[in-house]
Amino acid sequence: MSRPVFGRAEEGARPARLDRDRGLVEAARRDPSRFDALYRKYLAQVYSYAYYELRDHHAAEDASERVFMQALAGLPRFEERVDLFIPSRAPANAADSADVSTFRVWLFRIARNVIANERRRDRRRPVSSLEDAAELSAPGDVVDALAAREAAGAAWQAVSRLPEDRRRAVILRFVDEMSTAEIAAILDRSEGAVRVLLHRALRSVADDLRSQLS
Amino acid sequence: MLGNRARDARRTERYLDGLMAADERRAAEVPTDVDIDPAVRSAARELRAGLTRVHPSFRFEESLAARLAAGAARLQAGLSVEEAPAPAAPGTVAPFRSRSTGAVDATLADADLEAAQPEPAAVAAAGEPAPAPSGQSPAIWTVAAFRRFPEMAARPSRPLIVGGVGVGVASAAIGAVYVAWRHSHPASGRMGRAVRAAHGRATRASRGRQTGVIDGILGVVS
Repeated sequence: MSRPVFGRAEEGARPARLDRDRGLVEAARRDPSRFDALYRKYLAQVYSYAYYELRDHHAAEDASERVFMQALAGLPRFEERVDLFIPSRAPANAADSADVSTFRVWLFRIARNVIANERRRDRRRPVSSLEDAAELSAPGDVVDALAAREAAGAAWQAVSRLPEDRRRAVILRFVDEMSTAEIAAILDRSEGAVRVLLHRALRSVADDLRSQLS
Repeated sequence: MLGNRARDARRTERYLDGLMAADERRAAEVPTDVDIDPAVRSAARELRAGLTRVHPSFRFEESLAARLAAGAARLQAGLSVEEAPAPAAPGTVAPFRSRSTGAVDATLADADLEAAQPEPAAVAAAGEPAPAPSGQSPAIWTVAAFRRFPEMAARPSRPLIVGGVGVGVASAAIGAVYVAWRHSHPASGRMGRAVRAAHGRATRASRGRQTGVIDGILGVVS
């Protein structure tokens, strides 16, 4: 939960919301063993991002481990600055940044670098088959599971054919449920560029799904 | 003034925000801009349904949590998070006494050995000679060391484990071949015929099962 604080600006006190993970980050800085709370909170998100990018459970586990180890080691150097990570949420309109986590953006920037290194190293690794996509949906009712499998398979196939930057934006938006501002900060793009990336990605996916149907 | 592309991108963003928010509150209806392309809407819904978040195994989660806890403890102790690779244990490389060492011992002139006399300090605490100094053959140096310290030479040499395994495997293979050959060349004496007759009556029932196995062995042998 973000906490309102009051700055001492000359024009008067203005509420400015801070990072929603501020409490956890401060606790982990004072006592590194408290990093566990941040780890538990973001493991699934980082792992999902790595898994959709690397398409291999073991590689995703290795990448996740490296991400959290680097985050733990770099936590003393982490600066909670909304304007640094998310320019559009700079203090001028910081009251809107109630749902911003600069820690999450920072963590995903680490993840982006780790995954990029991993992909560079394993450039020759064959892409996994679509059977992997079937594992993505949780098993429940048989009909639901089958429908979910088909949906996951079609979505996976369409996303895997996207260019790298569009695919990343789609994964961060749909899997990790990030805002355009957060994605822009992670991918080092402007928000407008990310909006266009997502729009084009959806158009490509729509064309792909249409061709699959026909 | 926004271009068409930017305007469409903004519409798409608003639709995606609505889609996520509707999902969060489990609402069936998503507020939709009538100008948004229906194909884009449909693709967004497909991706929302298909791209689910995945969770790693519980075992991985717990093992990584343990490694992070260990890393945190190291951090508190002023060390680096990652565990440094363990340094190689200090020790000496001791050459095996072998035939080549024996041959050197037999043919070497005493003068050569005198020249290669190792100092007691050069002998490892474990009682083994340290590596030969540069410029000296390891075999000559080892022989010289054993002459200087006879109690070391009196100790039994190390067994060659790899050789032992090789001999064991070879013996087992020879045994199997012999059993298979013996089975295919039964003894022709009276005693042998009597034993076969008695054994055949007693175990006729289980013969079928054994035949397949024995035939398999014989097939390999022949």
